[in-house]
Amino acid sequence: MSASAEATRLLPRPMLATLTVLLCAMVLIPVSYIVLASLNSDVGVASGEFWPSSWSLESYTKIWTTADLSTGIVNSLIVCSCTAVASALLGTTTAYVLVRYSFLGRLTILRGLVGLQSIPGTLMLLPVFVLFSSAGNYLGLTVIGTRWGLFVAYLTFALPFSTWVMVTYLRGLPRELEEAARTDGASTVVILWRIIFPLSLPAIVVAGIFAFLLGWNDVLFASVLTRPETHTAAVALSIFGSAQEGGALPVYSQMMAAALICALPVVLLYLAFQRYLVGGLTAGSVK
Amino acid sequence: MTTLVRPEQKAPPPHKRKGVTQQQRPLWLLTPGGILLILIVLIPLALAVYLSLLDLDQYTLRRWIEAPFIGLDNYVESFDSGLLHSIWISVSFSVLSTAVTVPIGIAAALVTQNAYRGRGLVRAAFLIPYVLPSFVVASVWRTMLQPDGVVNAWLSKVGVDGGLWLSGPKSYWTLVLVEIWAAWPFIYLMALAALQSVDHEVHEASAVDGVTWWPKLRRVILPYLRGPVLLACLLATLNHINNFTLPFVLFGAPAPDDVNVMPMLVYVTSFQSLRFGLSAAMAVVSLIIIAIPLYVYLRAVRLDVHEEGGRR
Repeated sequence: MSASAEATRLLPRPMLATLTVLLCAMVLIPVSYIVLASLNSDVGVASGEFWPSSWSLESYTKIWTTADLSTGIVNSLIVCSCTAVASALLGTTTAYVLVRYSFLGRLTILRGLVGLQSIPGTLMLLPVFVLFSSAGNYLGLTVIGTRWGLFVAYLTFALPFSTWVMVTYLRGLPRELEEAARTDGASTVVILWRIIFPLSLPAIVVAGIFAFLLGWNDVLFASVLTRPETHTAAVALSIFGSAQEGGALPVYSQMMAAALICALPVVLLYLAFQRYLVGGLTAGSVK
Repeated sequence: MTTLVRPEQKAPPPHKRKGVTQQQRPLWLLTPGGILLILIVLIPLALAVYLSLLDLDQYTLRRWIEAPFIGLDNYVESFDSGLLHSIWISVSFSVLSTAVTVPIGIAAALVTQNAYRGRGLVRAAFLIPYVLPSFVVASVWRTMLQPDGVVNAWLSKVGVDGGLWLSGPKSYWTLVLVEIWAAWPFIYLMALAALQSVDHEVHEASAVDGVTWWPKLRRVILPYLRGPVLLACLLATLNHINNFTLPFVLFGAPAPDDVNVMPMLVYVTSFQSLRFGLSAAMAVVSLIIIAIPLYVYLRAVRLDVHEEGGRR
């Protein structure tokens, strides 16, 4: 055991230890700063303290009244959950056909799904914004500033993404079960519902989580397509952040508390699904 | 993290290829997702190109169908409004960030390759920058890099005057540093996956031959990493070029001239100067810029399980 471990070791022991310490420090110093600053006083953080001179949990109670964070979090949760469910389910059916059947244009679609993930967000946002703002004139609909408008906008990148995640999973799924079911006369819908969905549930969850995170982490679309009542958490935090400079008393401790609160759902999702998410990250070579 | 070797990497048994096409194809299943994709992805993309040919501003925005058609004037104008500068900033920033993240990511993969007590914690720590949302990372660094912030407080202790990080010429390096901090775990993940695909026999053979660590690393191990890491580099560079959140939250809009990357330029031109046609032209140009690495990436990525061997 120890001999085989010795064989796979790639770096001399002192170098390994030094590198590990350096890398951990690089990550953990800024991360611990967030936690420490959120437990500090606003004045302490503004004067450049790393280690708080006074400890308190005040920032975590004050932040809810200083910034409109709760509205943002509720909006983010609603919009991103809808995006996650819609793109995971639609992505699964689309991916199933793309993986199991060949037809003209199939490779183009697959290539498009990968390519779409690297298209600049601004290029997508412009036409979506123009379409949404003219919807009032041409269709009599108010779209800008509504949650469902944001939901549709998020689908533009979440749907291709989830579809691709499902393609990478489904092509590894053995075909025997479906073939057996088909011989027994099961229709495609039954196969999809009774075999594919249950078998690929972990991947569907991952596709949904990725779609959720795409929405949760987005600032670009939300900063343009929302109004104050429909702000997402990301927009609330970045507005709060830019309001600190030029103001009289910057409340950086509260800002760090807000940053931690916004990061919390994401961190929890990763912790809960770490194995699947990391596998998905590297398998599909998607972000 | 132990499931990095994915089942689909095995070559499919040859008999599987039959039966793909022969049955009736339920292509109608494509319709819900497919129609939606056409509606919300393809139509907007085509519209973006059309918008770039219009004189579209806040007055014509709501009736864009009637907006005046001005041909390529927007493209000509965009090169007079700082587009070349932004392209240069974007490209240099992205290439630089990728170049620095590669050695860091590979080093991190090398040190976590071997099992030791506490490795799980180290691996989890390495993922933190990647897991944290971009807007959180940017908010935190923005706070730390304030003129009176913690970074300058530390620097002054060792006698260095930090000065301004978030405006002026240093802002460019701030952007690069924060992007590196946030993005290196991606390279790490890809390098780690590649490392774990190295057969144990390879390690044993090197041990039997008594190769010391550096020649082993250079001649034996790194060649295994080259393909996956190159692919990761392409994707990472594309992600850097398209990163809007980091400069937007770090510096605010409009951004200082030294960090006016393409997404920021497009954003400010459209949503602050309200020149929608002009910014559409800029966005189309930025798509053309990323088309080259994107094309290479699309050629390299494995699209399909039915295509075997080297045929693609």
